[in-house]
Formats: sequence, structure tokens, C-alpha cells
Amino acid sequence: MLNQNLVRGLFLAAVALFFGLGALRYPIGNLSRTGPGLFPLLVSGFLLVLAIATLVKSRLVQAVPLQFSVAKIALIMFGLCGFVLISQHVSMLLAIVFMVFIVSYAGTAPSWKRNLAISAVLAVIAYGFQRFLGLNLKLI
Amino acid sequence: MDILHNLAFGFEHALTLQNLFYCALGCTIGTMVGLLPGLGPLATISLLLPLTYSIPTSSALIMLAGIYYGAQYGDSVSAITMKIPHAASIVACIDGYAMTLKGQTGLALFTAGVSSFIGGTVAIVVLAALAPSLGEVALLFGPADYCALMLLGFICVSVVTTGSVINGLAMCLIGVLLGQIGTDLETGTPRFTFGAQFLVDGVSLVSVALGCFGIAEITKNLDEKSERTPFNGKIHLIPTWPEFKRIWPSALRGSVAGSILGILPGGGPTIAQFAAYAIDKKVSKYRHEIGTGSIEGVAGQAAADEAAARTSFIPLMSIGIPENAVMALMMAAFIIKGIQPGPNMIAKHPDLFWGLVASMWIGNCFLLIINVPLVRIWLSVFKIPYSVLFPSILFFCCIGTFSVNNNLEDIYVTAAFGFLGYVMMRLALDPAPLMLGFILGPMLEENFRRAMLLSRGSFTVFVTRPISATLLGVILVLFIAQLVLMLRARGASRAGKPVAASERDTIVASPESARN
Repeated sequence: MLNQNLVRGLFLAAVALFFGLGALRYPIGNLSRTGPGLFPLLVSGFLLVLAIATLVKSRLVQAVPLQFSVAKIALIMFGLCGFVLISQHVSMLLAIVFMVFIVSYAGTAPSWKRNLAISAVLAVIAYGFQRFLGLNLKLI
Repeated sequence: MDILHNLAFGFEHALTLQNLFYCALGCTIGTMVGLLPGLGPLATISLLLPLTYSIPTSSALIMLAGIYYGAQYGDSVSAITMKIPHAASIVACIDGYAMTLKGQTGLALFTAGVSSFIGGTVAIVVLAALAPSLGEVALLFGPADYCALMLLGFICVSVVTTGSVINGLAMCLIGVLLGQIGTDLETGTPRFTFGAQFLVDGVSLVSVALGCFGIAEITKNLDEKSERTPFNGKIHLIPTWPEFKRIWPSALRGSVAGSILGILPGGGPTIAQFAAYAIDKKVSKYRHEIGTGSIEGVAGQAAADEAAARTSFIPLMSIGIPENAVMALMMAAFIIKGIQPGPNMIAKHPDLFWGLVASMWIGNCFLLIINVPLVRIWLSVFKIPYSVLFPSILFFCCIGTFSVNNNLEDIYVTAAFGFLGYVMMRLALDPAPLMLGFILGPMLEENFRRAMLLSRGSFTVFVTRPISATLLGVILVLFIAQLVLMLRARGASRAGKPVAASERDTIVASPESARN
């Protein structure tokens, strides 16, 4: 079981180190003539302090189990990425159907009839956006 | 007299057919997103932001503002009828739902609607009177003062939305760091772009907002698998005269509390509701009934909720500093439309400022009609299953992202922020402070660098300037207060006092409300 507090501390530390070490690649300058790296370095330093405080706190308080459902977020990511690829290479109408069918598996009791109905309504809305709001959607 | 003259000028602009249409549209959308789960005003405004490019400036801002304050009305309906506080009506669940259990749903809805109207009206008067004079005060602010004000905003938002200064502040800082991606405006150096051309202009605000609030929220709701039972009870809306007489004193108290708390940094509807409820519990003639389903328990908080939503526009429009995440997004809307909110905004764009203020009152009237006589229609919204709703919201997230640059690949960035937002939610890190940090980050850096340049690299400029020193003093007091509260809560929990548990519940409950 992963401890939510501990993972939170590690996550914050990773973000702080990512931006902090990245900031060192840019000129730092001095306080009166600050370079592009100084401000992100200061902010990441402060974030690192908060990350360390979170890590220390996680050792002192009772552990909270981390709940994370990989399947649902993965299905949604897959649906969105598929939407982009199909829109680029085939058509947006097909991309809508693909996305609706894929993401419906992240919900409860997916039904192909309902999915087709949702896809049809969204296709009409997309047409409305293209026709009346002037959005450059490649529907077919 | 000046205010009346200016308001008349505002009504001239707000009462055009086009602005009336967008005001009604904003209020209707706002009410709907207030009712629906998983789609708060923050996600909706970010969703519609790119679509407002083709709408005239004042109409677009009137519509977006309508969504924000309209959501506060709609939220009360779901809280009262089904005990679902989607956006910011946690307190309405207490007495409002208790009234539903007593068979007084109609009275509770009428009370919430009328009180929100009173709250909104009082707040508009405060907004019209205070915003211009506060704008004059803002002209005294230097770069160091702006830095201190933004830091105060970060601290206040962290305390209010997450209940934990460490978590909230960490999210603000992550937001500031995400705002660093792109070209440094002073030196032209690309930062954290890793050679990717699409990052040179920085990360799109719409991608961050839709990812962290739209996609992440949907995934979280799907994880919870909570089933909703539609409300099928009877509604008798018209109260008796003695019942009506009990509404307005509480509503007025709530309006004053909400108007004041809405202006303060980090303030907004959530904290205002709790404050109004606490005031009524102390001073109301019927205080012994509060908590068991009383009119006062609904009226005060509904008025405070609505008043705070309106007055939170004051710091944005007069100083140019948004005080919460929704206002940060409103600020982005102003900037997209080529308007810099701040001390000069009222002088430069009087039609826009006074038109927006006047439209708020018109919106108030629309909302009263939408939420009181037409409330039965809105309750049918709950019958839409979430399995139909969430693929549609995902589709709108895609279209919203695409429409910013007409670039489908931007959806990858939104999806990445959706994943990041979901991870943060699972780690109990509220994304609302991140949004504020992301929007204020570049402004904070600019003012920090300017303050350092003017003081020749000396940090003493932050304590020698009276405004900055005062604001930093407030931050220090807030830190000490948080520390004392934390130590007291720990002491009480060790002693096994039940008070600590209820305090903790309140704190845990508030992020849900503030997030939207």
C-alpha cells in the first residue's frame, strides 16, 4: 500500500527538482540584474522546502492509502489521443464515434446504442460549431 | 449622484438586445453547471473562453460573468433538493436539505432564490461604490507592493480552498513554475521548452484549465461511481407572510458579510457562506432552529454566497489582481479581449466596466425567474445520466482546446494536464491554487524583477514600503494563526475531543466547494 502523504511529498520534490535543475541551465544574473534562471530557481527552492516539510510530516502522521485507478484515466487518455489521430488522418466524425465508444468503457454499463446516439448528437453540435461559429473542423 | 449617473450609463450598454441575450445565456448556462456534477464554473468558463473570440468584448465578459454568479444560484437548488453541493453550497445542504426532509422544499428554494437576489443586489451597490475608489488606491502600489499582494492572495487561497497552507502553497508554486514555460519576455530566452516549438509561447491556459478541471474531474467522478436519485417530491413555492418576513433580515446580514468577504484576497463564496451561517447562529431571533431546517439557515448563506461572487470582481477590476481561481480565469478573458484589468480600466473602458456592473443586476433578475418559478424544469436536468454527460464534456474539452490555435495537437497537452490533474487530485492536492499561480506567475516574476532592479538587489524594499510591509505582516499573522490552530487541533485530537473532528470535517469539505 502506498502512503498518499509520502507520494505527495515525493511528487512535489520531483517537480521542484525538475524546474530547479532546469533553471540552472539559464543565466542566473544577480539580484539587481536578474537573469532568466533566477526566479524559477527561487520558486523551485521554496517548493523543495515545502516538499521536504511534506515528507517529514508523512513520517509523523498516520498513513493514508493512495487510491489510483489506472484503467479509467488510461481509457480517457487513449480516447483523447485517438480522437486527435483519427481527426488528423481520417475525419473528425469518425474520431467522435471512436472517442465516445472508448471512453464509455470508463463509465458504468457501456451500451452501443447509447454511444451511437451520443455520437450523432455530438456530430450535429460539431457541424453547428463549424457552420455558425466558424471553427475550422475537418468533419469529413 | 455620480454612481447613479454611472449606473444609468452602464444600463444603456447592458440593455442592448445583444448584451441581454448573452447575459441570459450566461445565467442559463451558469444555472445548469451549478446543478450538474463534475462541471463547475471554472471548467465551463475555460471551455467557453476560446469560443468567445468571435463574440464582442462586452457581450463575452457579460456572459462569462453570468456563468460564474449563475452557478451560485443553481448550486443551491441541487444542495437543497438532493444534498449535492456541486460548486459552493455546502452550507445550503445543512438547513436546505433538512427543510426538504420536512416537506418544505418549495419554501427552501424560494428562500434561496430571493435571498440570492437580495445578496446580489447589495453586492452590486458595493461594487459600484467601491471599485472606482479602490482603483485610485491601486495607483499607489509599486512593484514590491504588487508582489506582496500576490503572495497574500496565494496564502489566503491556500488556506481557504485546501485547508492546508503547505499543500495549497505548493500548488500555487507549481502553477507559477508552469507559467515560466515559454520565452522570457525580458531577455528573449526560451525556458523549459526542450526545443519544442509549440512550447515557445508557453503552455495554453485553456489546456491547463480543461485538463486539471475538466478531464481530471470527470475521471475522479467516474472513480466514485456515485449514483444520483432524481428529486421527485412536490414543490409549493409561495411562502406565507410570516415566513416571508423571516427571510429578509438574514438575507441582509448575509449580504453584508458576503460583500465584505468577497473583496478580501482568497475570499469568495465558500468562506462567505460559513461566515453568514455562523453570524445567523449567533444573532438570529430563530437561532435555536438553525441546523434543523430553518429559513434563516438558508437565507443568510444564500445571500452571502451570491454577494461574495459579485464583490470578488472588485479586486480584479480595480487593482488587477484576481483573488481566486475563477477570477484568474476572468482576468485571462479580459486579457484575451485586449483589456488589462487594473486601476486604469474604469477610466479607459467605462462602458465595459459599468455595462458589466449593470448586467449583473439584469442577470440577477433573470436568475430569479430561472430559479424560482422555473425551478421544476431545472430539476429534470438531474435525470441526464452521467454516462451520457461525460463523453459530451470530453468532446467539448477537445473542441475548446482546438479552437484556441486551430491545432489538434494542443489536445495532447490538455490530455497530459488531465493526467497530471488526476494525479494531483488523488494526492489530495487541489488544482484551484495552481490555476491562480499559473495566471499570476508571469506578473509576479515581472514585479519581483522590477522591485529588485529599483532597490538595487536589496530585499529590504519589501519591508520599507508601508503597503508591502503591511501585507507581509498580514501574511505573518495568517501563518501564526494557522500554526496555533494546527497545534490546538492536534492537542484536542490527542485529548479525544469531538470538536476537533468536526473542525477537520469542515476543512475537508471546503476544497470540494472551492474547487469549482
